[in-house]
Amino acid sequence: MTDAMLIKTAEDLFGSLCDPQALQGAEDTGWAAPMWATVAETGLPWIGVPEESGGQGGTIGDALAVLRVAGTHCVPLPLAETRLAGRLLAGSGVAVPPGPLTVVPGRPEDTLCLDDGRLYGTAHRVPWARSAEWIVALLQDEGAWNIVAVKPEAGRLTPMTDLAGEPRDMVSFEGATPEVAALSAATARTLLFEGALTRAVLMAGALQRVCELTVAYTGERVQFGRPIARFQAVQQHVVTVMEETAAVGLAASAAARAAGRGDARFETAAAKLLANQAVHTAVRAAHQAHGAMGVTQEYPLHHATRRLRAWRCEYGDERVWSAFLGRAAQDLGADGLYPLITAGSSLLRA
Amino acid sequence: MRRPEPVGAYRREAISVTVQPDLWSRFEPVDLSDRELALQRQVREFCDRELPHGSRVPGLGMNAVADPEFSRRLAARGWLGMALPKRYGGGDRSAVERFVVIEELLRRGAPIGHHWVADRQSGPVIARFGTEEQKERFLPGICRGEISFSIGMSEPDSGSDLASVRTRARRADGGWLLNGTKIWTTGAHRNDWCIVLCRTGDGERHQGLSQLIVDLRAEGVAVRGIPFLDGSLDFNEVVFTDVFVPDDLVLGEVGNGWAQSTSELAYERGGPDRWLSTYIVAEQFLREHPEPDAEQVRWLGAAVARWWVLRHMSLTIARRLDAGLDAAVEAALVKEMGTRFEQDVLEALERLVDLEPSPESSSLFERLLVASVLCAPSYTLRGGTTEILRSVVMRGLPR
Repeated sequence: MTDAMLIKTAEDLFGSLCDPQALQGAEDTGWAAPMWATVAETGLPWIGVPEESGGQGGTIGDALAVLRVAGTHCVPLPLAETRLAGRLLAGSGVAVPPGPLTVVPGRPEDTLCLDDGRLYGTAHRVPWARSAEWIVALLQDEGAWNIVAVKPEAGRLTPMTDLAGEPRDMVSFEGATPEVAALSAATARTLLFEGALTRAVLMAGALQRVCELTVAYTGERVQFGRPIARFQAVQQHVVTVMEETAAVGLAASAAARAAGRGDARFETAAAKLLANQAVHTAVRAAHQAHGAMGVTQEYPLHHATRRLRAWRCEYGDERVWSAFLGRAAQDLGADGLYPLITAGSSLLRA
Repeated sequence: MRRPEPVGAYRREAISVTVQPDLWSRFEPVDLSDRELALQRQVREFCDRELPHGSRVPGLGMNAVADPEFSRRLAARGWLGMALPKRYGGGDRSAVERFVVIEELLRRGAPIGHHWVADRQSGPVIARFGTEEQKERFLPGICRGEISFSIGMSEPDSGSDLASVRTRARRADGGWLLNGTKIWTTGAHRNDWCIVLCRTGDGERHQGLSQLIVDLRAEGVAVRGIPFLDGSLDFNEVVFTDVFVPDDLVLGEVGNGWAQSTSELAYERGGPDRWLSTYIVAEQFLREHPEPDAEQVRWLGAAVARWWVLRHMSLTIARRLDAGLDAAVEAALVKEMGTRFEQDVLEALERLVDLEPSPESSSLFERLLVASVLCAPSYTLRGGTTEILRSVVMRGLPR
């Protein structure tokens, strides 16, 4: 499939599935099983996972393009996780099972560990762990990295959610026996970046939705006899949303493009940082422009803005990514500062 | 020919509401071609040689000093009038290639003051609207770095509301007699020419306006310096008293001055000069503080991300111009974001570094901070205020 066809397919599918009622339903029940079944049938969750491992094939760029559309439609499914887990499993030579997958993102408070092939401890903030076929985690055991895959039933699951009401469960294990495969340290280090890239792309998509809604609403809502978009004070908010949507959208595209070519650490860090910052500027401006309508459950703005707030915290907040980029700049020094801005990841140390 | 041809964009800015609900989607990451990267290497080598660190006090973006000798050396490399037609001494190169050159010059604080306005906007506007005779007369000199220009738009009573200009030219034998006052005219005391927007006919606001190419040394031109708040004298008031302007120095069509001027404004916006003015201050900070503390490191990282994304946004505009597409609204958006960021950089440095900046400091970083902090209020004013730019962006949206 070409890029444009793929995006159109995703656009049509997610657009038809994710109306406000469906989103609310998913939030209320914690798992939109029929929606997952419909999406799974198209194979979209496994794009970017090699065919020989059970995926759909296609490039990482294709996968991220689909994910961006999913962000725009606020798709309440573990699409990012299924692909991330699928790629990690495939990379370690493990066959990717059908069904939704999830990845342990690795919070500082996690105690999950592998001891003599058995799994102990607790993992926090695991997306849709309750509905996943397998939970995938990257764990060190005696200095060596392993990828482990375990059924959620093998542990004790405490249902928890994020700001958007999406499942972010806590899972504890007391000696479960997972599938274990070796993993290179280099691959283990990529999880933070790959995870951040999924969030940056989802956020770019969600900001598009926020932008559309803000432009439409301020153009229609009449006060003092004219659309509120005619008031300069309101225009300031609309322009802020437009600017940040443009900047984050470009940054996410640049990061996705870099990922398709190889090292995308710089671009991913910058894109996730800019997306995180836009939560404070654009989301705030969008809510202000929407007035009271935007703080109701019946108006769809919150599906996007709550997800933006939740994704902001995942796979690196502003502190993490600004420190990463700042250290890169410090390493290169004053003479390397502008070259870093123009050449990005190619100038980073391995 | 790949010269920027932002066709018809400017009538839009002036008059009507145009639907651009997908404005955000016009910005895409831009890869430089091998040829463009080779040019970047050449410019970097040139700057390493010509402008080594410690050899001089770098300028702040487009505010850098005028050094006609430096401008001529750039011209000798073919880096002035790059996007102008070859037959008038230009390079017939693309807007992106010009971008690659000027971003390197700006980030080094190169002394570009002499040719800046002529290269950025007077040359392109003459190439677009000028007569054959005017092109032959002015463009080769601009491309050689010899002829310099000022911008004659703002007046004491016409700032953001440019259509209210009152400077007027009346018919005279063989030309026009110009009377009125222009203000905030950067470099008028040293430049050769000024493209003056004035009334030549009747009609409301946007009608009856024309652009005249005025010799700044002609009889009846009085240039008075207006000290800038840092004490520098680059700003001027220019009073025209019965200044004779011959017919052959009317730029473009009599009465078409509004459309021409607003197209000139578009050349003014959206380039790297709108987000690099304070870059050198940050670079010098890192040079003098190679071990920044954790908070400074995080700020530096965040600034790097902003420069990076603004650069791609700005490059998008250059690519669009090369493709013959309109980019007026995009340029307004980039200038709005870019110039605010230029100020943010200084604000952050002031907050993160414990010092009382002094112009006499032995630290170049401190001296640059002093200079830029005093200059910074103008960044979000010149070339279109933040408020005007936001309304241009908005008029590109449906309502």
